[in-house]
Amino acid sequence: MRGSSTDGKSGKSLVKMVNIGKWFGKVHALEGIDFEVMCSEVVGLVGDNGAGKSTLIKVLSGYHLADKGEIYFEGKKVNIASSLHARKLGIETVYQEQALAPNLSISRNIFMGREPAKSLGFMDKKSMDRGSMEALESIGLHLRSPGALITMLSGGERQGVAIARALHFKAKLVILDEPTIALSVREAQQVLEFIKQLKREGISVIFITHNLYHVFPSADRFVVLTRGEKIADIQKKDTSIDDLLELIVKPPSHN
Amino acid sequence: MRPFPNKNGQKVKQRLSRDSKSRFVKLFFGYQSSSIFLVLIGLILLFTFFSKYRFSSVANIKVLLALGPEFSIIALGVGMLMVSGEFDLSVGSILVFCSFIFIRLFETGINLFLAGFITLGAGALLGLLNGLITTKAHIPSFITTLGTMMLWRGMALILSQGFTRPFNPEVLPLFSSILTGKIGGVLPVQVIWFGVFGLILWVVLHFHKFGNWVYATGDNKEAARAMGINTDRVKTICFMIVGILCAFVAVSQIARVSTFSSRAGDGWELRAIAASVVGGTSLMGGIGSMVGIFLGSITIPIIENGLVMLRISYFWTYIIFGLVIILSVLSSIYLKRRKLRHD
Repeated sequence: MRGSSTDGKSGKSLVKMVNIGKWFGKVHALEGIDFEVMCSEVVGLVGDNGAGKSTLIKVLSGYHLADKGEIYFEGKKVNIASSLHARKLGIETVYQEQALAPNLSISRNIFMGREPAKSLGFMDKKSMDRGSMEALESIGLHLRSPGALITMLSGGERQGVAIARALHFKAKLVILDEPTIALSVREAQQVLEFIKQLKREGISVIFITHNLYHVFPSADRFVVLTRGEKIADIQKKDTSIDDLLELIVKPPSHN
Repeated sequence: MRPFPNKNGQKVKQRLSRDSKSRFVKLFFGYQSSSIFLVLIGLILLFTFFSKYRFSSVANIKVLLALGPEFSIIALGVGMLMVSGEFDLSVGSILVFCSFIFIRLFETGINLFLAGFITLGAGALLGLLNGLITTKAHIPSFITTLGTMMLWRGMALILSQGFTRPFNPEVLPLFSSILTGKIGGVLPVQVIWFGVFGLILWVVLHFHKFGNWVYATGDNKEAARAMGINTDRVKTICFMIVGILCAFVAVSQIARVSTFSSRAGDGWELRAIAASVVGGTSLMGGIGSMVGIFLGSITIPIIENGLVMLRISYFWTYIIFGLVIILSVLSSIYLKRRKLRHD
């Protein structure tokens, strides 16, 4: 059932992870993982709990350092040592619930830690407000005011703000960790629209989820992990939701 | 929201004047610091009338303006620290320890300005220590500063043996007049210092990048860290600001009373936290404004002074503190709900 990720149809390779291995003490979290994302491709990274999805993503976003393997970004070998480094390369990770400060305004959240400054480090609030509204509108999210507090937004809108932040800072790859979990059906649908918009903007997306019904319509390709190993890497046209589900729940084998 | 001129300009204007009152009320209640402002006005009126205008006498206002800022300046720093999500219980002890450092420097006969700056440095160092222990060892600041509170008070007591020591402001009149003089022979200069510190911290907290980092750190530390903010450094700097303010007050207090006392700053730690809470600062961090903290920091000395003017037993002070804290928190919760409903 192995598909091919190197048919080159989606264009150039954006990020390529080769033979990644990661141990936590004696636990083998990742083993021999090859993972590639093309430019403006949406990849669904699926698997059951403890399959290693989050660990793989944390290696890519600079949160963990891999014990083995290599990472190439836009063809160049990179050693992603910190989340700051990952962001400088253009890899933005949107962790659910951890991404925003609830009692701060939208614009203060979008520019958190990267505030545009006039002289002496004073924030340029006008450009923050303008930049926020532009970023939100570019993913099709129309909110009243950049001064609204995050607590006043719905779950879907919050994800939108986090995604807009990635977009504003010229991300080339946006990693969404369970973006639709804990959202209502309508809000989840809104988030899926954001993902389509990202693809239209030419940005690559890694979409991590349990929910195949959410990921299937939005992704171009699926990578299935089980117990730290990649068991499938398959184009959407070659598979179905039922096939993927079977792969996820199937006990791992090495044949 | 200025009305822009259009064809129906006349009409718009008319409607505005009718609605402007309710709009003002709505705007006022939507503002975070409104509740403390009302509490403050209420207290001032209460004290003025029930003290038969002793509270509003010129003599009393002069006393209030000279003494009040000492506490209030420290409370400003504590408020900002609380926005970053940490506490400082050691403010009174940092104050007394810095007082001791300053009096010993005075006794050696060095230039008072130099002594003052060394004391400020010592305050910053004590704040740095609080910050480093809290952030590097992952100890809740409540515990860290409980420890340093006892430590520095104890050190001041041992080194001074509990005796008072005299300070002579005549050595350098300029030094004393900068810290405790009266502008035009009337307005205590401490008020100006309080205003200046308030203004600086307001600008930093609301308009500078650092202020956004303080809010983000207090509101969601993980998010702030994920966005590349060094939350440990932000917190440590806030601790250092508190230390510097304590040292400043230590020096200015000695200049005012011309004596070192090992009881200086006793009991200020909880009052400073109370001032911030009354001013709308969250105990969890991330919520609060410098305007609210400023008003809260004035409230506490006003209550203390007002009760004296009412000739009510000092013992009542704590009961009134307790009631004011609870009432102001309740009213701010009420206003917040109201705001959420109306939005």
